Amino acid sequence: MKSLRGVGPVQSVLWAIALVVLIVLPFTSAPFRVEQYITWMTIAVAAGGLNLLTGYNGQISVGHGALYGTGAYTVAILVTDAEWPLLPTVIAAAVVCFMVGVIIGLPALRIKGLYLALVTLAVATLFPLVIEQFSDLTGGSGGLTLTSEQLYRGSIRDRRVKWESPIDGLASDQWKYFIFLGISIVCFVVIAAIVKSRVGRSLVAIRDNETAAEVSGINVSRTKIITFGVSAGIAGIGGAMFALNKGQVNPTSFTLTLSIYLLVAVVLGGASTVIGPAIGAVIYGVFIDVIAPELPETLESATPLILGTLLVAQMLMAPSGIVGWFHDLTEKVSRRRQGGGKQDKNVDVTVTTHEVVAETDLETDPGGFHP
Amino acid sequence: MSLLEVRDLRAGYGMVEVLFGLDIDVDEGELVVVLGANGSGKTTTLRAISGMVSATGSVTYKGQEVLGKRPDQLLGMGMSHVPQGRGTINALSVVDNLRVGGISRKDSEVDSDVELWLERFPRLGERRDQLAGSMSGGEQQMLAIARAFMSKPEFLLLDEPSLGLAPLVTREVFDRLRDVTADTSTSVLLVEQNANLALQFAARGYVLEAGEIVMSGPAEELQGDEAIQKAYLGI
Amino acid sequence: MRPSRKRIWGSDAKSLSGRGPPVNNFLEILVVGIGNGATYAMLGLGLVVIYRSTGLLNFASGELAMFSTFIVWTFWNLGFPMWLAILGGMLGGFLIGVLVHKVAVSPLGDPHERPLAVVIVTIGLFLGLNGAAQLIWGTVDKRLDPWFGVSQITVGGVAIAWQKIGAVVVLFVMVLLLWALFKFTKVGLSMRAVASNSESSALCGVSVQNMLMLGWGMAAGIGTLAGVFSAPNLGLGTNLMQLTLVFGFAAIVLGGFDSILGAVVGGFVVGILSSVVPQYITVFEKMPLAPAFILILAVLLFRPQGLFGSKDVARV
Ligand SMILES: Nc1ncnc2c1ncn2[C@@H]1O[C@H](COP(=O)(O)OP(=O)(O)OP(=O)(O)O)[C@@H](O)[C@H]1O
Ligand SMILES: [Mg+2]
Repeated sequence: MKSLRGVGPVQSVLWAIALVVLIVLPFTSAPFRVEQYITWMTIAVAAGGLNLLTGYNGQISVGHGALYGTGAYTVAILVTDAEWPLLPTVIAAAVVCFMVGVIIGLPALRIKGLYLALVTLAVATLFPLVIEQFSDLTGGSGGLTLTSEQLYRGSIRDRRVKWESPIDGLASDQWKYFIFLGISIVCFVVIAAIVKSRVGRSLVAIRDNETAAEVSGINVSRTKIITFGVSAGIAGIGGAMFALNKGQVNPTSFTLTLSIYLLVAVVLGGASTVIGPAIGAVIYGVFIDVIAPELPETLESATPLILGTLLVAQMLMAPSGIVGWFHDLTEKVSRRRQGGGKQDKNVDVTVTTHEVVAETDLETDPGGFHP
Repeated sequence: MSLLEVRDLRAGYGMVEVLFGLDIDVDEGELVVVLGANGSGKTTTLRAISGMVSATGSVTYKGQEVLGKRPDQLLGMGMSHVPQGRGTINALSVVDNLRVGGISRKDSEVDSDVELWLERFPRLGERRDQLAGSMSGGEQQMLAIARAFMSKPEFLLLDEPSLGLAPLVTREVFDRLRDVTADTSTSVLLVEQNANLALQFAARGYVLEAGEIVMSGPAEELQGDEAIQKAYLGI
Repeated sequence: MRPSRKRIWGSDAKSLSGRGPPVNNFLEILVVGIGNGATYAMLGLGLVVIYRSTGLLNFASGELAMFSTFIVWTFWNLGFPMWLAILGGMLGGFLIGVLVHKVAVSPLGDPHERPLAVVIVTIGLFLGLNGAAQLIWGTVDKRLDPWFGVSQITVGGVAIAWQKIGAVVVLFVMVLLLWALFKFTKVGLSMRAVASNSESSALCGVSVQNMLMLGWGMAAGIGTLAGVFSAPNLGLGTNLMQLTLVFGFAAIVLGGFDSILGAVVGGFVVGILSSVVPQYITVFEKMPLAPAFILILAVLLFRPQGLFGSKDVARV
């Protein structure tokens, strides 16, 4: 994505289409589908948060599923045990996860690159076990169902939380959809604002060369820790939405697999592009929820295989993801239109991302990738 | 016909061109030096000859076109390359470095040759089990040269052996080099910045500036040249 | 009762989970830990071999081991003797490892220059291998008999399964073979040379790509054994090695990423810790992984090269 000011005609059209689709979708889909769309949103938000950390700041986390899970459990516990109203719990989840993120961010100051990936992988693996260990609070492997005191047949009882639509003609799933769509959009606007700001440029500077960033006056440690916190907080909002959407949390929802899929969404859509993770999350959702169930049974169980193969192939052939690829394409077209002369001097942060994944010591190829 | 004939050699990295058509000859038994300042393309020249960067033009070795061949194929033809920064294998001991040098050989005398080179370079002999990474710069340079000789080369590409060495140490390295090349009648293409010293040992020299040969001739002639003296000898 | 408990634990969960008779005897817990430690060390050895030859942390190595253990099971199920089935599985693992390196890993370049790409590609392999195994062998756990049978001997009142003794012996044989390979053979010398300085090695005529491929193949072959020793306890399913992978990583973090001796010592320490600690510290009761995790964190923070690793490996 280019900065809003610089949105080209192609992008504007795409945005308009996306907006229309997002609004129309809940009215043309069955309720169970709408629930799935919401799940995709939760993944998109969490992946957006992860992208801030891994894509822009270069700190690889294979453990964001655990933060998503922490957000989900925060909501479940606050709603069920502390009788909180629903939406404020989302903010609480963000705050709790921010703090957890800062705590994880501290050791990450010294542990970098592949080793940070290793540690966060261990966090992801550990999380479901921690949930089981503290079953008094978390309900252990049985999980927690979100309940609240509701008036039911004349008496107050603990019942599963519900989303009553206050608007006539809007079903409860559609109401829920728009609330969560709103939260997701707010999250992405915040992410975009961070990325476009000076802070965003410091993140990229730190990723590209920590020492140089330090020398140019960026407080590297503080920036990295806060990035970890913010990224975790956003992932926590994703998890909070998940809990509110399902009305139920369970340790099996927050395994290593979830962390992996968050990373897949980021990379597939385009690491260090604002909207990439959302696109990655939707593609992943369509693949798992829409396409896979339609496939003959043998092919359906092949979905992880297909996904894994895609991922490796993409990394080798189009490492900057769908958005990066699209961007290269439009760039090429517009340059050809302008007679190939003008170079975009004012390079957007998000455009300069290929080098995250496409640098070689020999033969730096401006095409962005090497054989 | 020369042992090595380089004609119109062009090479670069990605979009950046570094060499703009070099002609270089090395005769049998000769030590030839290419002089040049930092970034003039000396290392790139050697890398292009030994197939480590892609290049165009022609490089014939023993009358055979070798451009595009891999380093291990060239090794089989008797050409050995000592890279800049010495390229010792730091996690291996001195002896193991030498054994790696002889790894492409099929004969059974590798182990006795290792001993031979440890004798020729006594400073290595004293440190046979020390890890290469923990040795001094001069020792590492000698190790790199000795290792290159382990493949029984007829022709050596040598990249800036004086780099980072004190003048006395550099002289020692060159002395050793002259002895062993004479003993083994090996031809050498040397690239150097230390013109003063290199020209004392070389038969002929070329001067490389920004990827082009700007001067060439017998070593004494270059030593006497005023421009060279100004630019490289600091006289 | 939680039916999935055996999966959540490391090897030999049953004897510790409280489902069987409570184990109070410290020595018996220790024996369990040593047995588990041997499998962690085996997986760790594979990780070390790959790290030494390519500088890469292979997040897919557990899944590679799982996959080749299924190959072992297939041969065994066809009626081959166990040792032959294992050889077949190791060979299969070797070939897959070679293929993986050639197709997916070597195009990446220096792994420490592009850590995200390495993580993504190995995770892609993780998903791919897991999916392929599900596709071929289904989602129902298979039963693989213990290589060394189910009988045990009693030494000083402590019962020790032959399978555990077998694991330790196999581990030591493997270490001995690796040590000899690296110490005495031309191939081993070439592999070490490539790991330390691939450019210089290429100039000396070492075929770098072949050595890296060999490293991947060997690592996958060794990992097979870790799978073979884990499967009888855990049940052979596609999740077989997911926890063991973290234990294996803990082992090599502790021992040092490039140290064979370190993988062995680290494996045993992690195995013993994760059996003993949860017995005495109730907070860890259901998560033997936690002590291993704390170990990973502490070592990476305060002694990144581990106990036996070389300093220049500590690029943390
Ligand atoms: N791997 C590379 N990628 C891109 N450019 C390179 C690379 N290596 C060298 N160059 C460029 O090529 C030019 C020539 O470099 P080269 O290493 O051949 O110089 P040199 O004469 O050996 O210098 P020195 O005396 O410092 O070793 C330099 O401008 C350098 O920046
Ligand atoms: Mg040079």
